[in-house]
Amino acid sequence: MNNYKTRGVISAFLLLFRDFGKFFKGAALNLFSPSFLFVFIPLLGIWEVLPRMGIVPSTLVPPISTVLVTLFDMFANRGFLQDIIDSMQKFFMGLSISILVAIPLGVFMGWNEAIRKRTLPLFQLLAPIPPPAWVPITIIIFGIGTQMQVFLIFLGTFYPILFTTFNAVKDTEPRYIASARAFGASEMTLILRVYIWHAMVSIVSSIKTGVSMGLVMLVIAEMYGGRTGIGFVLNEARHFFQISIMVACMLTLGAIGWFIIEVIKFIELKLSIWKGGRT
Amino acid sequence: MIEAKGVSKFFSIVNDDGTANGVTAVNSISLNIPSGKIVSFVGPSGCGKSTFLEMIAGLQAPSEGVIYIEGKEVRQTLPSTRAERIKYNRKHWFLSPLANSMWKNKPKHDIAMMFQDYAVFPWMNVLKNVTFALEMRGIIKKDRIEIAKKYLEKVNLLDSMFKYPSQLSGGMRQRLALARALSVSPKVILMDEPFAAVDMITREKLQEDLINLWKETGITIILVTHDIDEALYLSDEIFVFSSNPGSIRNKFLIEADRPRKRDDSYLIDIGKRISLLFEYDTKYESEYTI
Repeated sequence: MNNYKTRGVISAFLLLFRDFGKFFKGAALNLFSPSFLFVFIPLLGIWEVLPRMGIVPSTLVPPISTVLVTLFDMFANRGFLQDIIDSMQKFFMGLSISILVAIPLGVFMGWNEAIRKRTLPLFQLLAPIPPPAWVPITIIIFGIGTQMQVFLIFLGTFYPILFTTFNAVKDTEPRYIASARAFGASEMTLILRVYIWHAMVSIVSSIKTGVSMGLVMLVIAEMYGGRTGIGFVLNEARHFFQISIMVACMLTLGAIGWFIIEVIKFIELKLSIWKGGRT
Repeated sequence: MIEAKGVSKFFSIVNDDGTANGVTAVNSISLNIPSGKIVSFVGPSGCGKSTFLEMIAGLQAPSEGVIYIEGKEVRQTLPSTRAERIKYNRKHWFLSPLANSMWKNKPKHDIAMMFQDYAVFPWMNVLKNVTFALEMRGIIKKDRIEIAKKYLEKVNLLDSMFKYPSQLSGGMRQRLALARALSVSPKVILMDEPFAAVDMITREKLQEDLINLWKETGITIILVTHDIDEALYLSDEIFVFSSNPGSIRNKFLIEADRPRKRDDSYLIDIGKRISLLFEYDTKYESEYTI
């Protein structure tokens, strides 16, 4: 018995390594591939040269070298790393709360028609409200601080995850359910071993959508009420007209979003090992 | 033994213009299927044979009539009057009546089901697929692996125990589904066009495998197919279905010994009579439909 287990683990590991190769290729190497660098380096060059030659005013468009120097300065002297850590803490708090709430709720809604009928219309009414519209009332209720920021990030990430989970679970291939039921599977077993696995890939990719919405809400929340964080630094820079700091913040946000989404893509690949050659 | 008494199934279909039509999918079928036999339901597509099979499996409730497996009623007949329907809906307001119990893995009847495709769970490897079925029957973990191994060996899949279904060929996937269905040693296996998705040579090999495994175990097999040759090669009894509304047109007993030859003149003769019935059916239909 142990022997099978070890062999199972080993074969899973081999598949995982194959997938890690895919991840590495897809994420890191794509950024440094010759075909992309062929376009990217000239673009950076244009960005550097145009302000320096005075074709565009360098006060409005700082050259890339200035931005990089500013970024280094922010890390070295202004404690920008602490801002990033603060922002990420709030972001992951909000994201994990919405994952913990939305996925079980979505699974139960997709699984049972009685639950769906009683809850879905409420979410369909609330979902179209743009999350930024919640900002004033959230500030009044929670005050300015972490609570309000986490709640806003939660709002941004909640609906995409909920609706995708619920749809994916609802559309589970009926033959899987029929054969499991004929074998005698209880409803809990069906949920844990059939529905969730069938919907897993869609759920993980819905988290990707959630991440991009969450980053939007992170910046908005920090701009409106906060003492730290990337959005706060960005907003401060606006008041003092420090365009290079603003650009540095934007680049940081882009890099963070790119990295999180690549990690989720990797998890997605790992979870869809069973799709075999079709990934 | 499986017994059906006047089983009917009605559906309502909503048309494009918003009106609804009542459709009779299965019209008062009564039959007896003796234990330990292979029985085929043959008929053109849309004749309600799959619906009838699903009613035997308990995946759909009959609108009229009852089905018994070993004297036990498979599923309560759907309510026909309004008052009964309200009561029925109130009783099943939360869980669909098709569902098993909420927490406990327990089959309602000792059956297993096999489908044309998608029969095996692609997110479990070969061994796990079989042990999943055994787990549902409440067999302890140590025995599960032992039994699963035994049945995987019977269908020649022991070497690909840790592969995922997506890494297997169509024939291997179907053999896995067969091993999974057999492993729980059910009284009845219900097959819904099990070999329709594989090529002809694989199909013939699978049919031979099925016959050999059936001889060892002696369970009842109910097979839905549109392939007359498959039905002739495999079954002891053939029920020929006709469509609009789905009902049994005729029943053929096949008393040839096994192993059968596919070019046996006796079988070919019966096959001709069945296809004549099919032809008559389609002719009959075209006279009455516009």
